Amino acid sequence: MPSKHETGIHRRVVLGAGVAAAAGTALPWFARPATAAAGTLRAGIAGYNVINTLDPGKHSLIPEAYVVWAMFNALVKFNGKMEVVPDLAESFATKDANTLEFKLRPGVKFHDGSEMTGDDVKFTIERLQDEKYASPNKGKVSEVKEVRVVDPLTVQIVTNKAFAPLLAFLTNARTGTQIVPRKVVQAIGDDAFGKQPVGTGAYKLTGWKANESVTLAAHDAYFVKGQPSLATVEIPLIAEESSGVTALKGGQIDLTSTAPFADVPTLEQDKSLKIVKQPGMNCRFIAVNHRKPPFDDVHFRRAVSMAFDRNAMVKVVLFGEGVPSHGLIPPSLAYAYDAKPREISVFNPERAKAELAQSKYATGLGEVPILTWGSSWWKRIVEVFALQVNQTLGTKFTVEVNEANTVFARQKSGDFQGSVWGWLGPVDPDEYVGEVLSTKGWRNFYGYSNPKLDALAELGRAELDLAKRGAIYKQAEDIAIEDAAVLPCFCSNIHNIMAAKVQGFTQLPYSNFGDQFASITMG
Amino acid sequence: MFPKAALYVGGRLIGAAITVLVGAIAVYVVMKAAPGDPALAVLGENARPEAVAAFRLKHHLDQPFWSQLAIWLGGLARGDFGLSLTIAGGIPISELIAARLPVTVFVGLYAVAIAVLISLAMGTVAALRRGRALDTIATSVAVLGISMPDFWLSYMLVFAFALGWRLFPAYGFTSPVDSVAQAIYSGFLPALAIAAPMAAVFARMLRTSLLETASREYVVAARSFGFSPGFVFRHYVFRNALIPYLTIIGLQIRYLLGGVVVIERIFGIQGMGSLMVDAAFARDYPTVLACTVVFLGIVLLVNVVVDLVCVALDPRRST
Repeated sequence: MPSKHETGIHRRVVLGAGVAAAAGTALPWFARPATAAAGTLRAGIAGYNVINTLDPGKHSLIPEAYVVWAMFNALVKFNGKMEVVPDLAESFATKDANTLEFKLRPGVKFHDGSEMTGDDVKFTIERLQDEKYASPNKGKVSEVKEVRVVDPLTVQIVTNKAFAPLLAFLTNARTGTQIVPRKVVQAIGDDAFGKQPVGTGAYKLTGWKANESVTLAAHDAYFVKGQPSLATVEIPLIAEESSGVTALKGGQIDLTSTAPFADVPTLEQDKSLKIVKQPGMNCRFIAVNHRKPPFDDVHFRRAVSMAFDRNAMVKVVLFGEGVPSHGLIPPSLAYAYDAKPREISVFNPERAKAELAQSKYATGLGEVPILTWGSSWWKRIVEVFALQVNQTLGTKFTVEVNEANTVFARQKSGDFQGSVWGWLGPVDPDEYVGEVLSTKGWRNFYGYSNPKLDALAELGRAELDLAKRGAIYKQAEDIAIEDAAVLPCFCSNIHNIMAAKVQGFTQLPYSNFGDQFASITMG
Repeated sequence: MFPKAALYVGGRLIGAAITVLVGAIAVYVVMKAAPGDPALAVLGENARPEAVAAFRLKHHLDQPFWSQLAIWLGGLARGDFGLSLTIAGGIPISELIAARLPVTVFVGLYAVAIAVLISLAMGTVAALRRGRALDTIATSVAVLGISMPDFWLSYMLVFAFALGWRLFPAYGFTSPVDSVAQAIYSGFLPALAIAAPMAAVFARMLRTSLLETASREYVVAARSFGFSPGFVFRHYVFRNALIPYLTIIGLQIRYLLGGVVVIERIFGIQGMGSLMVDAAFARDYPTVLACTVVFLGIVLLVNVVVDLVCVALDPRRST
């Protein structure tokens, strides 16, 4: 039972008068009979057990985001159709190409009872930009030139130039732009704020045991009328995904953040459970190093891209839980998503062999290790990939297993030939295409460079009209696939599984979680 | 006699302290030699280079290898394990260990208790009924216990006792610090899963040891005096046969500290093993080092205790 660390909020201390459910019993979350927990949601985060900070500006890990979303709001949020809609802002408008204006909702209260104003918005964004604060989310606001507080409830955000991703970067997603209270942060300091966060969200922190669980209690002054309906949320951190499923089946939790792909088909048969799923905001691809043989040759890259069957991969690796990718942008970014199979990303053994014949490596090639990690489906991707390519082209691709951390470090330093990779949760097309494939993109560790794609990425960042913007990214992806810049494999489904009695959870494709606690009721 | 014993214990303790120090430095060197970066573990892949650089500066990761080690050893000398880097950012490691050590010790003792109970019964019965049906059954069960993977047994126990009959929670463990009764209840399945292979090893050990002792000359001599079989067994055979048995139990302590991570994971037990494995994967150097020191300390302490108990059982060993 790790860490009874004193954060100023003693664990299991009840702050609000109406929040008695958590402390009323000495039994831990899993030992309470389900009937007595009517006012408690037990929402397990599966597959992760580390939360280092709950400061939105500093957060970076998925479980941190899951909890931050419950305790904070951002200016805007995504609705069920992935459209950006007001949240702490009552409305927003584009004043000119470089200026977004937000009218703030009046009377919004932080957990400490103070009122949220335009000054807090300004503080939040300027804090992210501060070099000394060193936020991993700094990039989200790097184009912001100025935050103007016109009056306490009107804020203008001015960018250096037209910057289309900004609105998505101001949502309550993995952005770090959730609004924090200036007074509290300045009073207790950044590190302490990460341990005793104060937000505007439907739930506030009441307990936290390192690597084990987080406990939240309802924020009575939450600005959405009638929410939240449950007094307490217990969030156990369950290291293994499969243990999350076991805990759900055993009645120890009500909701889990994810499930192993292989379990999904059987879970769908279980009448006592509900499962929601959709293709997530991710793309799993084989990254190739353009600076080293053999992937320095475009013909070889194309040959490999056509030498494996993405549909088969979805079946074998994901048990059907996903869609094959013919570009990097996932289906949920509908305006920019292109479902059409592109020529170079379709399995075609004859053409693959013809491309190989044109390449520098037609006459043979030694072993080519493809990096992966773990023992799970990440490893399976590379196994299936290497097997198929070797069968089609007669190459000697091998599977090299490292740790994820090491694989990423090796990609960054260029010490690899091929490697599996995939981003989860980016919400703007620029994060999938511009940042990964443009010459100066900070996620482009591969040495890929094409001036035409760079120009399109630049256009995409500046285009505010969604339809036009989407068309730009489709063109950029045409180029990327033609060059076989990376080899997209598939977009995998995200899953939430819950007891049948859990109502009001709307799943969003970036794998939201905590932001839904407010609307959950238990029938 | 007393100064001799004191010298013996004192010498063992000094040796233990040196072993801990050398062991910790060895682990530190190996950890640092492995690729990977704590900044990536804590900041995630989305972190920009500036944030990574700031993190390194703050935690002295930009300093040379030996000066980092010196900083850590300096803290250790003051009894300060430092702060966790990446798995419980900013929380004192001593707090993490203080929370987890009781859990590990409790589950370990729980499992040993179950294993000892089972093995005493099984081993004794098998030895007394050597070659008969009961012996065959006990020996076969022991072979089964040794060959069953512990994670598989864990899942079987969960399916039967938690998901099937709903007698125990399928997941989750209460620390004995919070409630001993709850700890005994929620810890039963994992303790049983850990105990099963141990019980098998212990039982086989005890059976062999009993049979071997029973054929010793002094036992034959005791019988020839006309002592009752029960008296001979209790005073001549059993007591002497316990020495190798206890040594084997002592050896299992290492396994209980670090080897039960899979079971900890399956049942959601926040033990020392999981702490160390998580810390190693996330490159939380100070936490791994602290765990190493605690592990080595406990293993050495247990060895000393087992030796002392053996000396008590067999005074000839003290010389």
